[in-house]
Amino acid sequence: MRNALPERRAALGWSQQRLADELGVSRQTVISIEKGRFDPSLPVAFRLAAVFGCRIEDLFTPDDA
Amino acid sequence: MTDTRASAPRSSIGRSRFGGGGATLIIASLLLGLAVSSAMGGLYAWLGDTGDAWLRFSILAFVTLPVTASLGWVLLVDRSSVKDAVERPEDSVESRWFAKAAEGTMIDAFVVIGIGAAVFSFAEIELPVGLVLVAIDVLLLLDLGIRYLVAKLRSA
Repeated sequence: MRNALPERRAALGWSQQRLADELGVSRQTVISIEKGRFDPSLPVAFRLAAVFGCRIEDLFTPDDA
Repeated sequence: MTDTRASAPRSSIGRSRFGGGGATLIIASLLLGLAVSSAMGGLYAWLGDTGDAWLRFSILAFVTLPVTASLGWVLLVDRSSVKDAVERPEDSVESRWFAKAAEGTMIDAFVVIGIGAAVFSFAEIELPVGLVLVAIDVLLLLDLGIRYLVAKLRSA
């Protein structure tokens, strides 16, 4: 799953740790999501969308899309 | 955008979920551990038929106290007061790594115990049951640790 997390996070000027704190997960989780090696749970995806003020599909794109 | 991070100061020990500071938590954990270890020591002294009962009680209570006190801390601590503890560990990637490692270890346990049972049955090998169970336990713990590290390295 590709994602736009690094760009969105950079636009806010947040560190990976800051985003992890906002989501209530570990920094390693944010790193793994950004690298596309960990697909977050639906609750985390919704929290990401809320944090960035967008829809989930604006953040994540399936590999085959 | 609201900052959801807890504003209260955090520490390595944390605070009790039932109120009080770090010192209260440590004392409560030790007391809980002492109660459980004493019960285990008492049972061991009562069931055993060799040696001095007080010595058996003391040794078992002393040896198990670090573990039972730590378990007491786990039961009593308010997670949100512990430094670097994440709010939702179940949503973190470490939880996924552990789940994958545990799945693999469970399959390995079926295989190891199945093969072991067959070998011991046909070869008629006799070993102390306690020793065999400890060996299996250590083997599975090692297996779990290695599988967790592999899952972590693959995700890194």
